[in-house]
Order: sequence, then C-alpha cells, then structure tokens
Amino acid sequence: MDRLMACQTCGLVQEADEPPKGSVLRCARCHFQLDHRRPNSRRRTLAFSLAALLLYFPANLYPVVTAEYQGRHSETTVLQGINSLYAHKQFFIGSLVFCTSILTPMVKILGLIFITLTLDRPGGKKARTWAYEIIRIIDPWNMLEVFLLAIGVSMVEMGEIATVHPGRGVFAFSAVVVLTLLATLSFDPRLIWDSPAEQKRHE
Amino acid sequence: MNETRPAPPRARIEKSRTSRFLWLIPLGAALVCAWYVSRDFLLAGPTITIYFQNVDGLQEKNSLVQYRGKQIGEVETVRLTRDRQRVAVRAKLDSAAADLAREGSVFWIVRPELKPGSVSGLGTLVSGNYINVEPGTGARTNQFTGAEKEPIEPIPALEIVVLVPKLGSLQPRSPVFYRDVQVGEVVACRLSDDAREVIIHVRIDEEYAPLVRMNSKFWNAGGIHIHLGLFSGASISAESAQTLISGGIAFATPPDYQAAATNGTEFILNDKSEEDWEKWSPAIPLHFVPEAAINKTPVPNLTPK
Repeated sequence: MDRLMACQTCGLVQEADEPPKGSVLRCARCHFQLDHRRPNSRRRTLAFSLAALLLYFPANLYPVVTAEYQGRHSETTVLQGINSLYAHKQFFIGSLVFCTSILTPMVKILGLIFITLTLDRPGGKKARTWAYEIIRIIDPWNMLEVFLLAIGVSMVEMGEIATVHPGRGVFAFSAVVVLTLLATLSFDPRLIWDSPAEQKRHE
Repeated sequence: MNETRPAPPRARIEKSRTSRFLWLIPLGAALVCAWYVSRDFLLAGPTITIYFQNVDGLQEKNSLVQYRGKQIGEVETVRLTRDRQRVAVRAKLDSAAADLAREGSVFWIVRPELKPGSVSGLGTLVSGNYINVEPGTGARTNQFTGAEKEPIEPIPALEIVVLVPKLGSLQPRSPVFYRDVQVGEVVACRLSDDAREVIIHVRIDEEYAPLVRMNSKFWNAGGIHIHLGLFSGASISAESAQTLISGGIAFATPPDYQAAATNGTEFILNDKSEEDWEKWSPAIPLHFVPEAAINKTPVPNLTPK
C-alpha cells in the first residue's frame, strides 16, 4: 500500500511505505525522519516524565543557590527562597515563583504520567482529556522558572561583596526543566482519542 | 494539459536506534538521585554537640568549624540547654574530619581579641566568629565541652614555674628576656594552693632552654626602673616598650652554672635585679638540648577546664 507523504522539514512529497516494526522512514531529500505522528510517543513521554519525577525531589530538596556575603555563606533551596519572599511581603512574586518552579512542573509531570499510563483503559478518556487540557493551560508558565532564576542570579551578582554560586541541587533542577520539556515535546495528544486499534500502531 | 509528472521519490526505510536506550533515561535519573542521597547519608561526617558557656557571635547554619584554617564543618543549630546554664551547639562535620570527633579534642570559639602586646582573630571581624578545634586522641565521641579560650599549643619547650608574692603587671603572653632578647613567654598565672603567692607558668623556647639553670636568677623586668645614685645621678631604664604595658620577666645565669633546669623547676621572681646579675656572662652552648628538658606534651593543668 503506497501512499504519498510530505516531509515536515523540507516539504518534499514522496512515496512512503509502511515501515516495519523497529524501523523509521527517512526523507529522500533531507534525510529527516518522516512521520505522521511523533514516533514512540507514549514510551518516550513516560520515560522522560519518570526521569523528571525522580529528579524533582533532589531539585527541590537541595540548595540551588549558594550565596557568599561578607564571608558568611548561606544555601538556599527553591522553597526557602519562596519562604523568604513571603517573609519580605513579596506575595505576588513569591506566588509566581512557587507556581512556575514547584507547582506547574509537578502537575505537568504527574499529568503526563497519568495519561500515558492509563491509555489502555477505555473508561478514562474523559479524565485524560481533562488532564491534557490542564497541561496545555499551564505549559507556557513552565518556562518561567529558568527566566526567574537567571534574573535572580544576575541581581545578586551585581553586589560587589556578595557572590552567588549554583548549589548542589542546580543540576537536578535544570535536568527537571529539560526532561519535562522533552516529555512535552514527545507527547502526541492524538494518543488520547485514538481508538484502541490505532493506539497499537502509534504508541 | 497532460504532462507526465516524474514519479515522486521514495522515502527510505532505516532501522530506528533510539527506542532501545529509552529506559536508560529514568535509570540515569534514579542513579543521580541515589548519588545525591549517598552524598548526604553515607559520606556525611558525624554531627557533634559542643556545650559552651557563651556563644556570642555564632550563627545557626552559618558559622564554620575550622581546623588549621580549613573549613571542616558547619554549625547547624544553637540551642540553650534545658537548665539554661549552657548553650548546645550542634555542628555537622565533613566526613574527612570525622576523625576529629574524639575524646580530648578541644573546641573553642575564635573571636577578635585586642590585648596589650597582641591582636588576634582579626579575620573574624569580617568572616564572623568560628569554632576552632585542637584534635584529641581518645575514643570516638559526639559530645564535647567547649573551651573558653584557645588551649595552649603543645609545642616543644621548657616549662618552668616562677613564684612571686604579687603578680603586678604580668599576664599571659608577657615576654621573658635573657640579655634583652625574648626567649620565652608567660603562659598562665594563678594563685598557689594556699593563696600565699602567685604561680607563674613560663615557657622558654626550645632553643633557649639550656640558658635556664638550677641557679639562674629571675627578676621582674616590667615597668620603669628609676635609679638614684649619689654620683651617677638619676637613671631611668625600661626593658622594652612592650614591658611598660604588659610587664615582663628577665633572668640571668651565673658563670658557675649548675645543671640545666627541667620541666616544672621552681624559681623565685625577685623584685629587681642585683647589681652583678646583669654582668654575668657565662658561655652556654645553645645547640645542646638535653632531651629530658623538652616538654612534648601540654602541661595538663594549663588546659582550660
């Protein structure tokens, strides 16, 4: 069964056979992967989300910022940072940081895991759609954490006496950011409303 | 319009490679988590509690524990004890410094200090006070009683005792002179057991130890000496500018000198030198150091309790 397919990268229309299991189609001109759907969507999303979930804990339990001020040093986790923002009556910024760097990554990771794990169950379609809807709403806010961190660091770096280093948790923290990004990228929402037969083909 | 279009090219089929290693990603994440946890729980050093009378200048989660100027731990909490008599400082040591948590280790707080003749701990003005440690050799323990001040360093030296009826301006760190050259210092001053005189512990540097003989004479070199003579007029002398403030001790050894003094030898501190003492000039070879005279361990009753 031959069919025509356009490459998403270079736009070349070409004949594409159904690839056997474990193989992929590549564009005849630009060699980019050809696909109707994002490949391996379900397993990839699950793998990235699980990895992000695991690293979420060290990211929030370990200090992300180590500040040296007049010879005294202090380590701050994300939660402690939010706490001190509240203590200084910066409620809006405190809430913003809490939402962008603690709440939304968690909701997103758990939502993606929930959807990918329950795909086989016929009953939960409504819940999955609902979960995806939430993920879509919070998704743009998720990027802010990097942004906020960058601003915070550059602000403190301006002081002559104070220096700021990344703390131990910063590796886990950035890994969570990257992994959630990859999980969202590899997630194909069409999986949600596929019929069971289609699902077998695309997952 | 019936042109024949060229047949569209055919996409190539290749083996996919990515999916096999997919589950290594969560596995790697789990390993990273394990690494974090292991660093915290397996490699962490002991948490010790030090009881101080006064912790002025120590800060929770901020002050450091140092040994030889290197950070070896951090103060976690500072709490008043239940009876409010002391302050319990909980400090977490690095694993590399776990060996310092032994009986006999002395912990004390380094503060900026300004005393006549010496200034110490200036760095703490900027960095904040910190806890310093002098390691002991006993069994492992996590409970310590903090010392009020720095213990006397166990450097090899001759430790002698000088008795005086009244302390005067002498104090720890007051210099000890031989021919106006400082050869030692006062380590500690305290009353004798019957309170009839003052016991001054003096440490003579190892290289100058042979100068002290059993029949050496000691006198007070502090303050200003005013000597009024009928023909010579008035002469005013002071040993050094430092002794004007902090006091000092001088000694001389007679030409017919006896055996070298040993640790704990007692001498009388005279009020002032007699005429001929300062004229004595025996030849004493300094490179000869009798082994027995050298103190290798600190005098036990000098370390603050």
